[in-house]
Amino acid sequence: MAVQPEIEKRGFVQTVLDAADDVFTRITAGIPAGEVRRMLRGEAAGRPNPRLKPHSETFLLHIKPTYYHDSVTKFTHTFRLGLLSTYLFFVETITGLILMIWYAPTPERAYVDMIRLLSNVPFGQFMRDIHRLGAEMMVLIVTAHMVRTYLTGSYKAPRQFTWFTGVILLVVTLFLSFSGYLLPWDQLAFWAVTIGTSMAEAVPPKVVGETVNLLARGAPDIGANGLLRFYLLHVLFLPLVLFLFFFVHYYKVVHFGISLPSNEEEVGQDTANKVPADRRVYFLPDVMIDETTFLIGFTALMVAVTAFFFSAPLESIANPQSTPLHTVAPWYFYWLQGMLKIADKTVAGVILPGVLLVLLIAIPYLDRNPSRRGRDRRVAIISGVVAGIVMIILSWMGTPYYAVQGAPAVEIVQELMPEEGMGPVREIGYQHVPLGVYDTRERPESADEEFNHILHEFEASIAAFAEKDASFNNAYGILEVTQEQPSLKRITWKINWLSPDGKEEHFVRTFFLHEDSLYWEQYGLKDFSFVRPPTQE
Amino acid sequence: MKRPWYSFLYVRSPLAKIGLGIVGVLISIAVLLFLGVIEERRMSAQEANWNGRGVEKGAEIYMNNCANCHGVDGKGLPGVAPALHSKYFFTQRLTDVGWAGSLHDYVKLTVASGRPSKTHTQWAQVMPTWSQRYGGPFRDDQVENVTAFVLNWEEDALTQGVAENPDPWQPFTDTPSKAVASDGAPAAEEVAPEATGPLPPQELFVSMGCSGCHNLDQPQTSDNRGPIAPNMGNLPEEAGTFVPGEDAETYVHNSIVNPNAYIVEGYMAGIMPQNFGERMSEEEINAMVAWLLDPNRQR
Ligand code: HEM
Ligand code: HEM
Repeated sequence: MAVQPEIEKRGFVQTVLDAADDVFTRITAGIPAGEVRRMLRGEAAGRPNPRLKPHSETFLLHIKPTYYHDSVTKFTHTFRLGLLSTYLFFVETITGLILMIWYAPTPERAYVDMIRLLSNVPFGQFMRDIHRLGAEMMVLIVTAHMVRTYLTGSYKAPRQFTWFTGVILLVVTLFLSFSGYLLPWDQLAFWAVTIGTSMAEAVPPKVVGETVNLLARGAPDIGANGLLRFYLLHVLFLPLVLFLFFFVHYYKVVHFGISLPSNEEEVGQDTANKVPADRRVYFLPDVMIDETTFLIGFTALMVAVTAFFFSAPLESIANPQSTPLHTVAPWYFYWLQGMLKIADKTVAGVILPGVLLVLLIAIPYLDRNPSRRGRDRRVAIISGVVAGIVMIILSWMGTPYYAVQGAPAVEIVQELMPEEGMGPVREIGYQHVPLGVYDTRERPESADEEFNHILHEFEASIAAFAEKDASFNNAYGILEVTQEQPSLKRITWKINWLSPDGKEEHFVRTFFLHEDSLYWEQYGLKDFSFVRPPTQE
Repeated sequence: MKRPWYSFLYVRSPLAKIGLGIVGVLISIAVLLFLGVIEERRMSAQEANWNGRGVEKGAEIYMNNCANCHGVDGKGLPGVAPALHSKYFFTQRLTDVGWAGSLHDYVKLTVASGRPSKTHTQWAQVMPTWSQRYGGPFRDDQVENVTAFVLNWEEDALTQGVAENPDPWQPFTDTPSKAVASDGAPAAEEVAPEATGPLPPQELFVSMGCSGCHNLDQPQTSDNRGPIAPNMGNLPEEAGTFVPGEDAETYVHNSIVNPNAYIVEGYMAGIMPQNFGERMSEEEINAMVAWLLDPNRQR
């Protein structure tokens, strides 16, 4: 650059300013500083629009439309759920890659690695919690996004294929969540996935079912091979599939434009791509600022929720020899578990979900009604709502509250001190469980207020079951707390009752509780008591 | 156009939106900073937590697998298996066996491999191999957990060695203690128990170590044999049938005071301690015989 003549002609200051603006324009891929100032003031662009350049200059922006119809930029039209799904996948990929650093997919190491991640890696627990929360949110958000496109009729012509790729994305998201679920290799993971893959076994005919099962598990039962397969599915294959289908999906969305609110156009027309000049909202700067602010706000929310209200669970190490009481699927598969309770494995586990999937894909072709207006779509909207309600009921049936009550004595102890997880006794913890023998017939009291609640609950729960269950008579419980070792208490639950024919029956369950053990629930305010450990003496 | 009720939420000015974005970033940073400040403490709490849970798991494993021989309280059973909840064990044992590693390694290795050999042993039982690596039932994490549980006795064991809390250690005959008395770890020679009057057979059956090898509930049949010593579930019916001319009482009495006189087929001589005649009074032995032969034996 011939600097000297420039300076002579225009003066030193002006030349430096011009050079600075030049650099600025390169960084913004085509927008000079003055234009940015006008953007921030909310002034409209001039003509020709100098703000379009970055769309053709940059890779990331070339896939974004340059302008939108103003009615689809309203938050309440899309709720930005598609954007959010994309963002969550992005978050999952980043946090997942970070987790991979400390994780080895073998039965000998996976669980130990989890413990090491939690106790030895700075921000390790945070990463794990956010990955797990992100996974659950992603399932939720993708489903909500589907519900929104259903309710606005956006699957109708010409967007049938967009909907189809969307269904694939939903399935892949569910499988991603499910395959990740196994990786911590604890009882929760192991048994949920054992039950889940056992449905594959029910695919008729028998050879096919067995082969599918064998392929997924790598052996008749989940073990080292199954874990490796799920790991590879989780970190490689499924993300790639999702990535691919996302781009097809997104290409279609941009290609057709986001469907307008139905009252903006005539029935049967699709004018999403013919945006009148006075209704254009340009991506730069308006939509970009909206989206960025929205995602930042969402991130802040997620960070705060992860930090204070969400803890990924970690139970005992996977043990193929012992099935814990009340194994449950992750919540987004409760509906499947609910169906499995009322129908057999082939029907509820394979045929119905298969039919459901085909139906979902076929919706654009089944629904021949050209109108996207709610008024004209009563049948479609009511069937959608009914389907949603059925899902919720099935999900409720999938929880242990429905139709899986064990023997009363087992349930009473499970309620207070479950085999896995926290429960009220572990929640109050070692310090609040005083040594002694407590017999429910004597209305026992201890010096500890929190422990008294447990005793009352024990008493009440026995009374409640005795009333409900005719084979559980004259029941009483004895809770014995002894010091087993320094910092280790033995908690023995004994429940005695009379069977209908007057025989004395009893049930005994022993647990140990260590002073330093922390148990936690997945959802709810985290326990920060470690910040100031209880001062002893 | 009608404005919806939530229109007060609309933010129009780009600067205001950017401001909100900056607030979001600041909130995230603040939360992360807070986490960063407490991270050390969180990690040590987690570390302690998993150690604690390991001890809990170990306790369960110990109760189901080890307590039979090493005692529910870990103080061993005479003639069956040594004490672990013992000051000697925590302070002197490694020196006496010449072990160069840590006690943790010693316990873990012993649990993993067991003591499956019978040469030179004063103990009635061999210790089985526990680790899956050598054909036993436990995974590595279970071996680690039960080790943590045993080591967790330390604090309590170190208070032993006083009159009201004696060290339950019974010296190994093949590794005499090199401890000097002033070292504080008294490898007490087996002290004759103080005469406390006859103890009930139920109690003696455990404290003398019988329960380590004999199962009281299972019957002894050809397809259900006790692994180390015969089961005693059906002893009242069977006792009179082993040695011709010996009735049930004589047979059981002889088997206690002189175990090698008759060895049930399939078992080895010399496994059962030979000195019960000295360690129990005649009165106690007779009560034991009567109790073992009682068809409605009560625990
Ligand atoms: C390329 C993307 C991804 C990678 C590399 C990745 C990697 C990982 C790794 C290494 C783990 C094991 C660590 C752990 O269990 O905490 C994991 C767990 C998990 N992942 Fe992913 N992941 C990715 C995407 C996803 C997505 C998109 C979802 C859900 C829609 C998901 C759901 C889960 C779940 C539920 C777990 C179990 C979390 C736990 O309990 O800790 N992951 N992931
Ligand atoms: C990982 C999952 C998904 C991602 C990342 C994703 C992403 C997107 C994005 C960014 C849009 C733009 C409009 C908006 O934000 O609403 C969109 C539109 C759309 N999506 Fe998805 N989507 C996913 C799953 C689904 C599913 C499960 C369905 C339905 C079964 C679906 C059907 C549609 C349809 C029909 C449109 C067009 C909407 C319109 O034109 O109004 N998508 N998607």
